Amino acid sequence: MNYFFNKNGPLISTYLLISIGFWIVFLIVIPQLYMLDLSFRPNIPPLLRGGPDDVYTLVHYKHFLFGSETSGESYNYVDIGVFLDTILTAILITLINLCFCYPIAFYIAKVASPNTARLLIVSLIIPFWINELLRSFALRILFAGEGFINNVLIKLGVIDTGINFIAMDVALYTGLNYAYILLMIFPLYNALETLDKNQLEAAEDLGSSMIRTHFRIVIPHAKAGIASGCTMVFMLTAGALATPVVLSSPNTFWFTQLIYQWFNMNDNWPRGAAYSIVLLSVSVVFVLLMMRIFKVKIGEIVR
Amino acid sequence: MKSQQALNILLGIYIFIFFAYLFGPLVIMSITAFNSAEFPSVTPWECFSLRWFNEGKIAYDGQHLAGLATDWRLHEGLITSLQIGLGVVLLSVPIGLSAALVLTQVHSRFRTAFYSISIMPVLFPGVIIGISTVVLWDRIATMGGGGFATELGRNGIFLTILAQTCFISTYCFLIFVARLQRFDQTQEEAALDLGASQTQVFFKILIPYLMPAIASSCVIAFLASFENYNTTVFSILSDQTLTTVIASKVRLGISPAISALALVIILITLAVTITYEILRRREDKKKKKLAAEALFVQTQDSRLLRNGKSTSTIPKSIFVIIFIIIICIFGFNKLVEKGLYGSVCIAATEQEKQSNFAEQLKLLQNNAEVAGQTSSENGEADEKKEYDDIFGDPNLFKNFGGFDAKEEEEQETSD
Repeated sequence: MNYFFNKNGPLISTYLLISIGFWIVFLIVIPQLYMLDLSFRPNIPPLLRGGPDDVYTLVHYKHFLFGSETSGESYNYVDIGVFLDTILTAILITLINLCFCYPIAFYIAKVASPNTARLLIVSLIIPFWINELLRSFALRILFAGEGFINNVLIKLGVIDTGINFIAMDVALYTGLNYAYILLMIFPLYNALETLDKNQLEAAEDLGSSMIRTHFRIVIPHAKAGIASGCTMVFMLTAGALATPVVLSSPNTFWFTQLIYQWFNMNDNWPRGAAYSIVLLSVSVVFVLLMMRIFKVKIGEIVR
Repeated sequence: MKSQQALNILLGIYIFIFFAYLFGPLVIMSITAFNSAEFPSVTPWECFSLRWFNEGKIAYDGQHLAGLATDWRLHEGLITSLQIGLGVVLLSVPIGLSAALVLTQVHSRFRTAFYSISIMPVLFPGVIIGISTVVLWDRIATMGGGGFATELGRNGIFLTILAQTCFISTYCFLIFVARLQRFDQTQEEAALDLGASQTQVFFKILIPYLMPAIASSCVIAFLASFENYNTTVFSILSDQTLTTVIASKVRLGISPAISALALVIILITLAVTITYEILRRREDKKKKKLAAEALFVQTQDSRLLRNGKSTSTIPKSIFVIIFIIIICIFGFNKLVEKGLYGSVCIAATEQEKQSNFAEQLKLLQNNAEVAGQTSSENGEADEKKEYDDIFGDPNLFKNFGGFDAKEEEEQETSD
């Protein structure tokens, strides 16, 4: 500690300690812990807080699993269904994104000339800077009942009446795929860029086929990038709120929308907090899983 | 080799499709901003108009659809967003900087732990950061008992700044870490040996070295704050930012004014990106020239210098800019020829719609008159009966229902 003060001088040391303490304790740790605490509390009006009724309870987690006591069903099929749907869809979208982005990342990193690569990267960044809501809105224009795709298809004579893409969730899935595609490309690109081109040539000279080279050399090399991209895309997809708000059909719920409902419409904050904890734990499990599968450190996932 | 060529062509097609997928929706959205129809679309093209950038329109059924320039909610949201963005930049850049500095000094045993904690906020879903901040501050506000803390805890802008700072600091942290990795520690030591105080070293050596990182983290922090929705929607409480205004607009029914807004944002993004690119290229060229000169000084080999000198050509970007200007002038000419807002065309379509609507309105007025007559007749006879008859009049209700149903239809189609 003394060393620290000596090295930075009193003024700078104070600044460093205060700002980091403020950030880690006040912005990261305490809010999360308090939310965890709240999720075990009953939903009672503020005046009764701290009174005899304010005891720890599992009622919100029970509600997530088994539903309200008045309902006849043994499990809370609706909420669990939404939850599983969200997680599975997020995994599926992550995989699709990976397959979709891999050739592009490989092309930019290894095949294209430096100038072309630079141009492509800049043009990839541009859509990413535009608000997620507005990007979803663009897709909404395409997919709406009287939207662009339907009108074109009708004009071409492929279909007679408009297809309801939004009710079929096609719009939602495309939107989620579209929203986070760049977060898959950049980690992949960063990982692939460090690959030595000589390795590829050596593999080719030794008679390895294109596909084999990819599976034996390129993909193992890009491991950290794949892990990073998949984690980011999964996290953002599972925790997405903007895209589902714009693109989901009235009868499809995303898990975050459920949380939003408990918070803002039903005014049941502890239950919302409990559901958030469920989402958070899934995220943590996913990160740990990715670290285990790809044998990477957490520092390699977030760059 | 032939298979290689075929593969390349396939790859080319793939890349084309990919970029079409990336840009297609944005381009189409931009085009819809110029269509005068109140549903953002391309194919039933009504008229070319700039009305969605200006005053919007009053639909033929009396519904007011605000344009970009007249929508005060958007303006208020924009101001709030700017305030929040400024606050986030002011908080998160110093925090990110100090965290990165401490990371370089912390004992290697704690380094991994410290790093993991610092990057955790990025891995949390944004929704959860927003919720946890609100929950905590609501508690603080209740405990504050109506004092300053209560005021602060119920202030949406303050909460949003805190919640966004939580994860945006990590972005800044990562940018600073990347830059600090290339920092030459001997510079600091030299300064200290020459008698500078630690504070002087910090301000005279470290900060100037980190200036590019500070600039880029300011930009990134502001942009991330500006376009954030997931966290903001919880922490903003009763206020509105630009994104939450857009979200509520989109949920109510989509209007081309949003397309117009998107187009403005796209254009700003494009302008910023292009400027940045040009500046970066110029810097690169300068660096290359300097390196070539340094090499020349080192080796005294005159062959090396020749490459450096021949770079004084006209930059190609000027041709592109001239081309764009010519297209703009041409387009503007065309616009003036056709009437600036396409007002003739709009008037024609409006007429058509109105005549359709006017019939219904006439019917409505007729019915209302009939109802009025009956009620006034009754009023002469018996005052108490008057009320009964108004509500008992089947015509009145039918018309009212008719009007409502019409509006509902409108909303459905605009969905």
